[in-house]
Amino acid sequence: MTVPVPATAPAPAPDLPRPAPGREPARPARTARDRLLDARPVLVPLAAVVGALAVSTALAVLAGAAPVEAATALWEGMVGTPYAVGSSLNVAAVLLLVATGFLVAHRAGLVNVGGEGQICVGAVAATAVGTSLPDAVPAVVALPLLLVTAAVGGAAWASVAGWLAVRRGVSEVITTLLLNFVGAAVLVLSVHEEALLRQPVTSSETLPQSAPLVDATHLPLLGLPGSPATVAIVLALAGAAVAALVLRRTATGVRLSAVGLSRPASLRLGLPVDRLRFTSLTTAGAAAGLAGGVLVASAPHVLDDGLASGYGFSGLVVGLLARGSFLAATGIATALGFLVSGGINLQLAAGVPASITQILESLVILGVAGTTIWAVRRTPRAARRPRTRSDTEATS
Amino acid sequence: MSTTVPPPAAAPPEHDAAAVPALSLRGVSRVFGSHTALDTVDLEVATGEVHCVLGENGAGKSTLCNIVFGSLPPSGGDVLLDGAPFAPASPADALARGVAMVHQHFSLVPTLTVEENLLLGRGVRRLRPDRRGLARRLAEIDESLGLRVDLSARAASLSVGARQRVEIVKALLERPRLLLLDEPTGVLGPDEIDGLLATCRRVAESGTAVVLVTHKLAEVMRVGDRATVLRGGRVVGGGSLAREGAVGLTASDLVELMVGRDTATLDPVLAANVGVLGDRPGDDASGPGRGPAAGEGAAAAGRRAADEPVLAVRGLVVVGDDGARRVDGVDLDVRPGEIVGIAGVEGNGQGEIVAALSGAVHPAAGKVLLAGVDITRAAPRRRTGLGLGVVPEDRHHEAVVAGLSVSTNLLLGRLHRFRRFGLLDRGAMRAAAGDLAHRFDVRAASLDAPLSSLSGGNQQKAVLARELSLDPLRCVVAAQPTRGLDLGAVDAVVGHLRAAAAAGTGVLVVSSELSELLALCHRVHVAYRGALSEPVPTSAPDARDRVAHLMTGARA
Repeated sequence: MTVPVPATAPAPAPDLPRPAPGREPARPARTARDRLLDARPVLVPLAAVVGALAVSTALAVLAGAAPVEAATALWEGMVGTPYAVGSSLNVAAVLLLVATGFLVAHRAGLVNVGGEGQICVGAVAATAVGTSLPDAVPAVVALPLLLVTAAVGGAAWASVAGWLAVRRGVSEVITTLLLNFVGAAVLVLSVHEEALLRQPVTSSETLPQSAPLVDATHLPLLGLPGSPATVAIVLALAGAAVAALVLRRTATGVRLSAVGLSRPASLRLGLPVDRLRFTSLTTAGAAAGLAGGVLVASAPHVLDDGLASGYGFSGLVVGLLARGSFLAATGIATALGFLVSGGINLQLAAGVPASITQILESLVILGVAGTTIWAVRRTPRAARRPRTRSDTEATS
Repeated sequence: MSTTVPPPAAAPPEHDAAAVPALSLRGVSRVFGSHTALDTVDLEVATGEVHCVLGENGAGKSTLCNIVFGSLPPSGGDVLLDGAPFAPASPADALARGVAMVHQHFSLVPTLTVEENLLLGRGVRRLRPDRRGLARRLAEIDESLGLRVDLSARAASLSVGARQRVEIVKALLERPRLLLLDEPTGVLGPDEIDGLLATCRRVAESGTAVVLVTHKLAEVMRVGDRATVLRGGRVVGGGSLAREGAVGLTASDLVELMVGRDTATLDPVLAANVGVLGDRPGDDASGPGRGPAAGEGAAAAGRRAADEPVLAVRGLVVVGDDGARRVDGVDLDVRPGEIVGIAGVEGNGQGEIVAALSGAVHPAAGKVLLAGVDITRAAPRRRTGLGLGVVPEDRHHEAVVAGLSVSTNLLLGRLHRFRRFGLLDRGAMRAAAGDLAHRFDVRAASLDAPLSSLSGGNQQKAVLARELSLDPLRCVVAAQPTRGLDLGAVDAVVGHLRAAAAAGTGVLVVSSELSELLALCHRVHVAYRGALSEPVPTSAPDARDRVAHLMTGARA
């Protein structure tokens, strides 16, 4: 029965009802189970990776490899020789470039699925410059020119999707995805047509690829003994650092976040929403285009139709898994880079198809993405512990 | 106005102990983290009564509903339904036990017809929908309660009031023993509120226990048998109501319980917000039109009548996506120092007027002049630069970026002022944001915490801080600025708007709370089907009646 309580009224009600002093209910002591539940964000992805490794090993065994032999070959290919480390770093550089661009666009709420096409177009543009420059041009001019052209090519490719997204409201996921096919076709066309970039056809054996780039446009090696590692990794790390600084510490970065989190509020506050979205997507394209430029400017310094070979999608995966963190992107890109070159050795040394590493990569992604819900979801009703403030917003 | 403390009505339950209450809560608590939303709440609801649960926003009313309806488990205490322990695991469970709830926000599928919506909840385990059974039950409801719904109408095409009627019918289909209504009148016009309250009474008289959750006292005094007042998650009082001559709690008693202070010290806008003043026709002396603001304002308005309007709207036409004229030839003037209101049932074009003023939509025709400058098609940034502050209606969607920090939200529109060597000067930002937060009393654990961690009232204060600190500030457009706020925050919002007007800013307030507008504004327009009425000066003794009359669509 409700009886009026003498209103020993304290001050006007605060915005959030406070628990009365001394009546705070005792919180249950933290058990081992609680600690386990709190560690979920780390444990669950780790379990996904372990699971993916187990499945991949099983597949390798099915493909006829002795597990120990296969694992050794993979390890050798990853870090066994300076050569292996060097080529792993080159792959990591390309992935990190694409992922950096992805993260910039993603900050503004745009998902760039078009890394593959942007790499192709960037590479085509770079090759056009790299094969036509006269030998006399010094490297300090030639190499930056090649890289800038590559970035502009990728940016131009992304700007098509950016324009459609901003002016016509077409989802950039669709447009960038579809432009991948067109970009790949542009590359194939370029290396098959003598009028375009194909090397002069002298016999029926002439491969459908471009002439080699002039020496001045080759990416210099880092100079580690026996290692093919180029300055690409330095370039990629610098790019990621600059992007992280811009997103974290500048007005532009904050505005991009605002646009990504709430377009109506950003419009209301007078932010140049269309310009920010367009710029961020073309920046993503520029980064991927630069990756294409890096690829042709590395050995063997020619453009062929297998150039992109999935770097665009792997870079996208790096960006997605990094969840906005450039540090995480660097780590994941490096790990994937080593995995890719390990896979090549797996095929060479153990006779296991290199596609096993792609399966591993895909399983990791599916595992991590698919189990995210367990890492963040509330515990089942019966076990639900009292929740914290953000949940109470909706109640009251 | 009564200032006496309510007699401690140690009222023993009039419903004798033999009758088992339909619902009783014994020491029910609910804790969210470190925050206690409900603290050992006792409540008894008898069969056949309308029991009002009163309290400000944040007092724990919705939490209580959610516990009874099975959406949340209590942290402690017992819930009994007809004397038997009741611990629903889900709303479906609660429905099966005879507890129905009408939510604050409607839960009809807009693209389905009313009949299909009603069939959705029924016969889930049947192969074919039970249309005949539904028709039979609807006929019964019509006969006993006079509630009729148009079965063939599409839910989306119904008015808000009709939609709510469908919700209530849907809740009644399974003959619930207990009907929960959570803030049902928030979106209704005066006529629809009358209809709803009459329905509540009839439902109760048909033998169902009705729990009406609200923060509007006027409604409580009209239909309630008994009331329980929550404050800060605790029951602070309750008992029988002084309705229709019965002895019991009066409206002012309830206000004192709700807000914990004397009604005489309440600002008229606050009083209007809880509805103490709103329902006293004939009580001219304390009528809303006589609020201190209105008295002073009338003089100010007279003084300033000659001033050039700071905001002038001429022949504004806004066409919706479907080609309908949402705003149809609106003229409006706001002079410096003046508070102008736009009243009206929601959906009569007010939202579109605000959108056109803020630059979110481009009008099809007409002109908007801010201090003589044509801003009809100007971008939001230019409007802001010219001194137009906007407090949007949909706070979460349009006013703030909830995921960003409090300080970023306060300064997002003027980040260019905090640049040093190309980077953001976090120190200067923190200082500026801290200053704003202090001036507008935005209470946050940290200015670097995400804005979403603030209570609704503090979020709204942050929006006001940002919009009212524009330099220059010529005019403020505030849409539903007090919606969903507790009294403390309403007080702050109203105070800031008044202060802005006193400093010479033109203020335009759009609200569906008529009493609030009458207490706050100098003049009130009424929006009806996209057109605005002539302004009604709130100092006129019959202002309330005239505005209420205009809201029904009649010409003044």
